[in-house]
Amino acid sequence: MKNTATIILNRNLPDVADKLYESMCKNNADKTDIYVVEAGSDKSKLSKYCTWWANWDEAMKHGLRVARGVNYALSQLLSEGKFSNYNYFFMLTNDAEFEDKPVVDTLVEVMREHPHVGILSPCSKQWAEAKLIGEDNTKYFWYVHNVAYMMRREYIESIMEKDNPDYMNFLYDGTNFRGYGLESELVAKGYINDWATAITKKVWVSENEEYLQKLAGLIKTETYEENLNLYLDEGRKWMRRKYGYNSRWEMQMYTKYFYEKFFEFYPELKEHRI
Amino acid sequence: MVIEKLKQFMSNRRCTLLGVGPMSKNCVDAAIELSNDYEIPLMLIASRRQIEAQDFGGGYVNGWSTESFAEYVKKNDRKGKIILTRDHGGPWQNNFEKEQKLSLCNAMESAKKSFRVDIESGFDIIHIDPSVDIYGDLSIDETLVRIFELYEFCWSVAEEKKRRIFFEIGTEEQSGTNYNQFDSEYVISETNKFCKKNNLPVPAFVVIQTGTKVKETKNVGTFDNPVRIKNELPAEIQIPKILDICNRNNIFLKQHNTDYLSDETLSWHPKLGIHSANVAPEFGVAETLAFIEILKKYRLDGLVEKFVNLSYGSKKWQKWMLLESKAGKMEKAVIAGHYVFSEPGFGEIKECAKKELQNHSIDLDGYLKTKVKESIMRYLRNFRLVGRQ
Repeated sequence: MKNTATIILNRNLPDVADKLYESMCKNNADKTDIYVVEAGSDKSKLSKYCTWWANWDEAMKHGLRVARGVNYALSQLLSEGKFSNYNYFFMLTNDAEFEDKPVVDTLVEVMREHPHVGILSPCSKQWAEAKLIGEDNTKYFWYVHNVAYMMRREYIESIMEKDNPDYMNFLYDGTNFRGYGLESELVAKGYINDWATAITKKVWVSENEEYLQKLAGLIKTETYEENLNLYLDEGRKWMRRKYGYNSRWEMQMYTKYFYEKFFEFYPELKEHRI
Repeated sequence: MVIEKLKQFMSNRRCTLLGVGPMSKNCVDAAIELSNDYEIPLMLIASRRQIEAQDFGGGYVNGWSTESFAEYVKKNDRKGKIILTRDHGGPWQNNFEKEQKLSLCNAMESAKKSFRVDIESGFDIIHIDPSVDIYGDLSIDETLVRIFELYEFCWSVAEEKKRRIFFEIGTEEQSGTNYNQFDSEYVISETNKFCKKNNLPVPAFVVIQTGTKVKETKNVGTFDNPVRIKNELPAEIQIPKILDICNRNNIFLKQHNTDYLSDETLSWHPKLGIHSANVAPEFGVAETLAFIEILKKYRLDGLVEKFVNLSYGSKKWQKWMLLESKAGKMEKAVIAGHYVFSEPGFGEIKECAKKELQNHSIDLDGYLKTKVKESIMRYLRNFRLVGRQ
């Protein structure tokens, strides 16, 4: 029985998604089932490993992005009766790249060593967080960049939408389409519900930004610059609408507050604090 | 009792203290007037290139020496609100020591001479920054040895002159990258040990790189950037971590290169608990822009052209340029403007401008000072040193 579901989000880059799928398969096939979400891809550009194709009008027009894509995958697993089969969900965007070795088992091992961790992210060699983590390999953070998140099922269950969860609300708030600020919200919700967020150096991930920078037309998305501006603008509006926050710093301090509180309740975990 | 006053002030009002670079006489006057009008402490943070001892020939700002600058400020600061601060004091921190390629020994002696005049002239806060070495890179431990030698020297001068001074340490160059926090903590802890062993006061301020970096007329560091920058700690992690270090060590953070940060980011300084921040070139640029604007408004285009040629020709803009700069001659002249305010050529341009503007009942310096004040006020409001309305 495989205890991990790996979810790959893709849009119009079948070769890229196939390559990631195959590399995950090669190194982790005995440890994880792999699902590919086609987020509004053209019919001719579906990955050969496509599991679910989000092809309703809006998805075809705008795609799903991470928030709606993950929500959609989790909704599908739930409706297919598979959600509770898994203890861990490993969410990947198609631009994630790993070393050529098993990663799922290593991440699961870290999850087992850290039973209070709800979200676990591999570290990137391009993140200075690696220096902060030092020799300990795994530390708890209040801010984690979203490239590859492994999430614990109990964590998801503690914060997920309970009434008819769907692609808009299963886990992430899908009203924030491009997702600026959503990681912080998930991290905060985690600490509020006794779940930490960690980065581990036991697995390294990198984000190949070239796809977004050079293949925007192919993906059928805005240019990198346009997308960035919309990402920030929409995210700021979302923060203000939902929380009354006028700055990303308010979101950060909100998250950090619950991070600090967490260690008041779990002083034995302070060694993992940065 | 400057630090006690600052601590008292901050305990009554959650704010971030401001250090103002003395970019020009108008800038100094603006700072003095605002601090007196609003009854708030302001630090005037003079680099050695800006303000230097008479024996070194003074600095580039208004022809002031350390002695005459201090005298001028004390005379005009009626309510005693200005805190005279030496910024980046240390060997090879002025042009003379670099140009003469002084040896380490001579550069240290020269720096001591400069510090002595600072202390004798009434400077309250002394930033000891021996991070520059024209002969090669320094290890942290080598830097610490130099800090300790200068620290002890400054304290002995202060004792001799019966002056109470406070120290700022920190070996930051404006890299805009996240300064290694472990190094910063090590510098603080080693300095504290040294002070304890030698019965010296511990430093009051530390400079740690928070992710600010000034290029052209922008802040291009990580602090104001909501998007991840490669090989950097996100500011969301960096800033609280640095403040943890400072608070744990009971030392104020002095953020350098704060210029041009957005209002949103500035307004978060007091909320985040950033104790103090230095701003310099932005105020010089504000005055330069105002000067050009008023000349243009009254169609004094010939004077604009002369000024732009003078400023651009100074090449003082060079160190501020981005690698892939798109700035033209005018933008470069704006960046370098305040460096030429004391040059005879500028004096002539300004005299002509004054005469012309008098015909329109405009007091040029009054106008420029008002514009610099507006620029400083952006910080005073965002730092909650004055009411935000």
